[in-house]
Amino acid sequence: MISELLYIISKYGPLLLEGLKTTFIITLISYFIGFVGGISIAITRTFLHKALKVFAHIYVELFRGTPMLVQLFFVYYALPEMGIRFDPILSSIIAIGLNSAAYQSEYIRSALSSIPYAEIEAAYSIGLTRFGAMLYIALPQAVRIAIPTLTNEAIYLFKYSSIAYFVTAPELMYMGKLVATQTFLYVEVYTVLAIIYVIFSIVLSGIARYIEKKLQIPGYIV
Amino acid sequence: MRDKLLIVEDLWKFIDGKPILRGVAFEINEGETKVILGPSGAGKSTLLRCINLLVMPDKGKIIFDGEDILGKRDIHSVRSKIGFVFQHFNLFSHMTALENVMFGLIKVKKMSKNEAEKKAKGALAAVGITEELWDKYPAQLSGGQQQRVAIARALAMEPKLILFDEPTSALDPELIWEVLNVMERLAKARMTMIVVTHEIGFAMRVADEVMFLDNGVILEKGAPEQVILNPRNERVKRFMDRMKYVYSIGKGNVY
Ligand SMILES: Nc1ncnc2c1ncn2[C@@H]1O[C@H](COP(=O)(O)OP(=O)(O)O)[C@@H](O)[C@H]1O
Ligand SMILES: [Mg+2]
Repeated sequence: MISELLYIISKYGPLLLEGLKTTFIITLISYFIGFVGGISIAITRTFLHKALKVFAHIYVELFRGTPMLVQLFFVYYALPEMGIRFDPILSSIIAIGLNSAAYQSEYIRSALSSIPYAEIEAAYSIGLTRFGAMLYIALPQAVRIAIPTLTNEAIYLFKYSSIAYFVTAPELMYMGKLVATQTFLYVEVYTVLAIIYVIFSIVLSGIARYIEKKLQIPGYIV
Repeated sequence: MRDKLLIVEDLWKFIDGKPILRGVAFEINEGETKVILGPSGAGKSTLLRCINLLVMPDKGKIIFDGEDILGKRDIHSVRSKIGFVFQHFNLFSHMTALENVMFGLIKVKKMSKNEAEKKAKGALAAVGITEELWDKYPAQLSGGQQQRVAIARALAMEPKLILFDEPTSALDPELIWEVLNVMERLAKARMTMIVVTHEIGFAMRVADEVMFLDNGVILEKGAPEQVILNPRNERVKRFMDRMKYVYSIGKGNVY
């Protein structure tokens, strides 16, 4: 077993690394889309006008209520029928990013609702607008509170970006499958993949804990 | 006429159909300190919040600095001219003491960072918050220090009027002094202030006029000696007797 593992790593390492790179690209960009989108949706649902609120709510329910794979297939197979065509990697980024926005918006929204209204009111009392109070007082604190769940989301995306395999995006899972069918070493190849996923998940949580510490407000116990 | 900084006329506020303020009316001149006394639930906080439009009154008039502010569209600029000091300080917990004070100067008054910093440091110094505390976060400060930072935050905006809503009610007795002391100095410097408090000693020393609010109505107003020591109204008298007992002033009857 060990010798087979080493064989895979030495012979197919570069290929798997190529896949890992794509996995990271999909994860990072879709996470970023999810973060920016999530914040926008959370703000809309917490602070903005009725009509927009309803729209944002529908978005969240839609993307949380359907499997991510269905969303990915919709982007990759259904949109081209309407003349909108993306390559496999971009399709994955879009589908995973839009899906993550729905989830991240919920994490940020619940954090926003836990910010003491007293501080928002204090901001009003010195002349800030609703938007200003939200942007400078509520949001920075909400993001801090949401960091643990936002981190989980990043690790989750790192693993579930593997669904990009289904639309032939050459990410880690896809490359692994290639190697496995070539070598017939299914157990060994998927063991290597599992190890890679675990290692980087642990690295990601380490980075997250570091950020969490960095952003901690002295004397403030959440 | 110009030195009437604030005129409140026939102010009404209903919450859930219940009248909370019932035709409150008073005036305050520039440089005056007015103290509002009254039992809890009387509507004191609601009255203060109406004045800086954190709560919108249902009826009546508020003329501030010569302008009818209830008709104004830009409530934010009105609020930036009226300071508010809260019972629980309400400092921004993710900002240091200095940042708390600079924040409004930069975001509302659009000052440069340097200018704001200089001004904020001046305001902090004025309330006795010394340099080693500037970079502390609210959670690292005592209640008295937090409240003084909050006062500095209001002061730095150069408001024409500061509203204090029970600024010492959340403080340990020893810390009450340091906050009252700052407020007394402000009053001596002719800052216009409306103070809701239970500190009748402070009212005796500092107030130009005391108003007693109960059930959304001003039952009595006048010089502190009169309202606190010799109230005419029975309800006010009963309240003051109890206050005098708590604060050990004279020999009040205890009911
Ligand atoms: N947002 C609110 N919702 C419901 N009731 C309120 C609200 N604000 C104030 N009240 C009611 O109005 C009355 C006066 O409150 P308040 O102005 O806080 O009194 P005070 O400051 O004199 O203790 C109380 O009975 C209180 O319950
Ligand atoms: Mg109150």
